[in-house]
Amino acid sequence: MKRRYTLRFSPQLVNKPFVSKLVKSYDLEINILNGDVASGRGGMLVVEFEGTAEHLKEAADWLENGGVTVSPMSKDILFDKEKCVECGACTAVCSSGALTLDKDARLVYDSNECVLCTLCVRACPLQLFSIA
Amino acid sequence: MAKSVSEINEKIKNGSVVVMTAEEFTRLSQEKSPEELAKEVDVVTTATFGPMCSSGAVINFGHWKPGIRMEEIEINGVDCYEGLAAVDSYIGATAESRFDCTYGGANVIQDLIDGKDVHLHARGKGTDCYPTKEIDTWINKNTVNEFYLFNPRNAYQNYAAATNSGDSIMYTYMGCLLPHEGNVTYSTSGELSPLLNDPEMRTIGIGTRIFLGGTVGYVVWNGTQFNTMTEKNDHGIPLGGAATIAVVGNAKEMSTEYLRAAYFHKYGVSFFIGLGVPIPVLDADMAKRLAISNKEIETAVCDYSKSGHPSIARTNYEALRSGFITLDGVKVRTAPMASLYKARVIAKELQSWIKEGKFLLTEPVASFPKQSFVKPLVAKEEGGAK
Repeated sequence: MKRRYTLRFSPQLVNKPFVSKLVKSYDLEINILNGDVASGRGGMLVVEFEGTAEHLKEAADWLENGGVTVSPMSKDILFDKEKCVECGACTAVCSSGALTLDKDARLVYDSNECVLCTLCVRACPLQLFSIA
Repeated sequence: MAKSVSEINEKIKNGSVVVMTAEEFTRLSQEKSPEELAKEVDVVTTATFGPMCSSGAVINFGHWKPGIRMEEIEINGVDCYEGLAAVDSYIGATAESRFDCTYGGANVIQDLIDGKDVHLHARGKGTDCYPTKEIDTWINKNTVNEFYLFNPRNAYQNYAAATNSGDSIMYTYMGCLLPHEGNVTYSTSGELSPLLNDPEMRTIGIGTRIFLGGTVGYVVWNGTQFNTMTEKNDHGIPLGGAATIAVVGNAKEMSTEYLRAAYFHKYGVSFFIGLGVPIPVLDADMAKRLAISNKEIETAVCDYSKSGHPSIARTNYEALRSGFITLDGVKVRTAPMASLYKARVIAKELQSWIKEGKFLLTEPVASFPKQSFVKPLVAKEEGGAK
């Protein structure tokens, strides 16, 4: 199963090799979706973990015990599809492929692909995207 | 054999007209010669739905009692032009509200078309014949006399695609341009685009009847920045902005299905305009023009991070529509700014109007300039001409 989390680190934790431990000990596949980590000021990672339910829970507990704040990703991009004119301007900035135009030139939003970069919020000339 | 517009109109009236969209026509052209196409097809419908900043509306508010000579006019906080007699005004699409930069003239026009009440505030100095000095009231499209779109520059024949080689994101009227040539945006409907299907403007001129915002409109002049000097490719297609049209239509009859206010982050308000132009297939030459395909329609890619937006590459609409083009050896994402979906809806709508006999074609009353170029605005210390 897949789960998305936002991980927040204190500055003291930035240099610890969390990712390799998660791969080795919990057999997780890790996809880093978004990140802002810098030595000296802590940071934030948006990640997608893929593994068994048991491993996912153990990994989250292990991170929490190590001082990392683990928040299941609850934010979402809201899209007011009804008002969309299918211009495609949002697809210009959507590197994850969540926003695409189909063969009929209609906009398709696949929230499973969204990495919450939020660039679409500014890119939509009709202001149809918002962060929930 | 050549056909005339009046012969085509007879076919529209007797129900025998053959109409297809420019995309359908281009596909058919792979099987048939221009001569065969000219014989079999009478009208091709073209359309576009894109942000067109040079748009706006004329409104006559009706006279207040006692009269006011409006000298400062605001609708929903958006300034309107006050220099047109007592109660005539022009509201420009890109004018922004003094309270909310995401709301502008285009939004006011959209609200009026939707039948909403909007707030009108006006001041005058008070004259013997117009003594009232200030009014505050609410208007809608049914309370005003005239309310018509008058768009000085619409339907650019072609438009350069945009990219950004700089180090930071740019917010432009061509959308969000990611740094280091992170994307390319473009803004025409390609082979469906009106003025690309009649590049020499043989059939489009002053007086041409068109589809505008869901109702019938007219071409009233060449659009501003009308340019016949843009470099052309082997298919006679200009490689960037070239011809444009000025259009009018009764906004009271329009629908916001075909017009939509837009706000481009850190740029400002613009207006999506839905516009369709029927093109008569007069002869084999017109059929050849109308058969133009996305691959043959090329455009420049301009770098918005550099002064003057220099062209750095040339591409075509088949490549742009594929989702990626190659720039400097790197695959770069492409995205449109104009809605192809909406353009197709408009081309189909216009096709059905013609088929049903509700829309007759026109011959231009006068042609557009054969030689015209765009002058820059130059700084001068003082005026020499007296």
